[in-house]
Amino acid sequence: METFLQSLVNGTLTGSLYAMIGVGLTVIFGVMRIINLAHGEMVMLGMFSAYWSYTLWKIDPFLSAIFWIPLFFIAGMLTYRHLLKAIIPGGELNTLLYTAGLSLLVANVALFVWTGDYRTLNLPYAMTPLRPFGIAVPVPLAIAFVLASLITAGLYLFLGRTDIGRAVRATSQNPEAAALMGINVERVSMITFGLGTALAASAGVLLVPSLYLYPTVGEILLVKCFVIVVLGGLGSIPGAIAGGLLLGMVESLGAVYVSVAYKDAIGFVMFLLVLLFRPQGLFGARP
Amino acid sequence: MRTLIVSAVVMGLLLMGGGPLAAADGTLKIGAPQPMTGSDAPFGDKFKKAYSLAVEEINAAGGVNGKKIEVIIEDHQAKNALAATVAEKLITQEKVLILTGGRASGQAVEIASVAQRLKTPYLVDHPSADIITAKGFEWVFRNNPTGSIYPQAFNKFISEVPGAMPKSAAVIYDNTVFGKSIANSAMTFLRSKNVPIVNDEAYPVNTLDFKPIVTKAKANNPDFVLMVAVSTTDAILLTRHAKEIGLKPRAFVGFGGGFGVEDLAKQLGPLSEKVFSSAAWSGNPNDPKVKAFYDKFYSKYHIYPKEHEVEGYSAIYIIADALRRAKLTGNLDADRDAIRQALMTTDMTTVFGKVKFGNWDGPLGDHYTNQNIYSPEHSVMAQWRGGKLLNVWPKENAETPYIFPDPTTK
Repeated sequence: METFLQSLVNGTLTGSLYAMIGVGLTVIFGVMRIINLAHGEMVMLGMFSAYWSYTLWKIDPFLSAIFWIPLFFIAGMLTYRHLLKAIIPGGELNTLLYTAGLSLLVANVALFVWTGDYRTLNLPYAMTPLRPFGIAVPVPLAIAFVLASLITAGLYLFLGRTDIGRAVRATSQNPEAAALMGINVERVSMITFGLGTALAASAGVLLVPSLYLYPTVGEILLVKCFVIVVLGGLGSIPGAIAGGLLLGMVESLGAVYVSVAYKDAIGFVMFLLVLLFRPQGLFGARP
Repeated sequence: MRTLIVSAVVMGLLLMGGGPLAAADGTLKIGAPQPMTGSDAPFGDKFKKAYSLAVEEINAAGGVNGKKIEVIIEDHQAKNALAATVAEKLITQEKVLILTGGRASGQAVEIASVAQRLKTPYLVDHPSADIITAKGFEWVFRNNPTGSIYPQAFNKFISEVPGAMPKSAAVIYDNTVFGKSIANSAMTFLRSKNVPIVNDEAYPVNTLDFKPIVTKAKANNPDFVLMVAVSTTDAILLTRHAKEIGLKPRAFVGFGGGFGVEDLAKQLGPLSEKVFSSAAWSGNPNDPKVKAFYDKFYSKYHIYPKEHEVEGYSAIYIIADALRRAKLTGNLDADRDAIRQALMTTDMTTVFGKVKFGNWDGPLGDHYTNQNIYSPEHSVMAQWRGGKLLNVWPKENAETPYIFPDPTTK
């Protein structure tokens, strides 16, 4: 029983971070139909930002989210404005190749500047895990879980209750109709890209105290990210959240009750099954 | 116009002279595929430093029969397929006389196959999977001990220290050639002593979350936890998650790889304390000559050399010794064969220890070819203490008394 509960806790904690990375990717796809292959690198940049603000200025990584998230939001908007906008009319394939190139560029510049060394960030207060009812809950993951939930809830409120949020959703449903209703689609796209970037980076910031970082860490994250997003339905935010939690849970329970060696295989089998019976993903709209 | 003439002359000379001319004037080239980028990059860097120091020393002392030696490092990013590609590139395009390096077993297996096919000697300096020297490849030599020898010091420790024989053991290892051969060797010995293996868990490299595995192991409350990780990031996360979830064995024992490098202590801090590592040694620390090398290395790079640096440095000396004894004619194929012949009669001592290549049977019955016959003496059990990995067993190579059972977990 204890093992089962522990696995559930592990799965939820890891899943919440998966979900957050997935949401960023899916938001961008929903509005702009861009499959952002540089998403993993955005997470990586978020990780490095938190790492440096901790190492150089002794700012707690969780606290640093307060200024890194807005900064990455602006950086994302600038990226859209100056790097992506011109390429979007070229179609999905062009943007795909473009973001793939961007991902390589960012990863390699990072390799050049920060070298291939991996680093970890250890918080002194996070060394010993909490043990409610004999179940180990690592402190950094627990904090990350709470913050990830808050950020995702905030995103939900933003999309549901504000005018810009409604505009984002409208654009995601039908860009032409949205434009006819007087929505500035270009501005919405820019905001959305900023939002996606900020989500990816904040996932990176929250992940740093629990994981290690090096310039090409984005690679391992990106594959999972795509599974999550497609699982939940491309473009669907609740889908990405559900997909992230589901993947975290399946990996965790699968590793304990089946075999660790098949952990990834189990995740992908579930992925294939979902696609087989619900090609649009769990929460995706029927095409 | 003048540049044209000059380049025409140069071209002509190159075409006329071909191989022999280049060899007569040029340096003696040694090729080394290593991971210079990616998660294994810190290892590539260790070997680069070790090679550079050895090359500098040898060249400063007049080189090899008057010629300078040179090590050409190619980046394989810790990817097996890429390792084969760069090995082939070093052999066919860079025209190196001999290969060394490789870093991890998965990549070294690929390099060994290429070396055998293209008839180029390959001196393995660190990759340890048994299979590399158990395929009957006559072009492949190995100075360091094989993976199945790594746990020998651990076996001695649990057999010789009173009360240390495990009552049960959880074995967690990565599903690479390295991970599997070491885990297999350790488990074979434990089974022969009737120690129940309560967990036999293989995980894929670059696992982001070890909590599920250690949760599973915790349910069995193992007396010993044995861990194999080829990648340091895996070693770090595995140890961290094991302690977070609350595994409380009498001893955490790693087997080289990520458990033998300073980064483990640097990144884990107090969590690395008292963790054991049974692996290839770094030379005998009680030997004054080895000590002198450690100091020299430290004064140059401000790092105390461990296993990897000592192995890389020694490999260049073994190669230089073979190059010195081989009759080099300038014909690449003949020279490579001459070097292979010379390696077969190697009999020397480096900072890593004695070396002589021979054919013999390993602890799991693998038939080795060109494996250092002194390898069984080159395994040592060490323990992380205050951020340093200090030898604790066998006694004659110990730097400090062991601490067992682990007071932080028991």
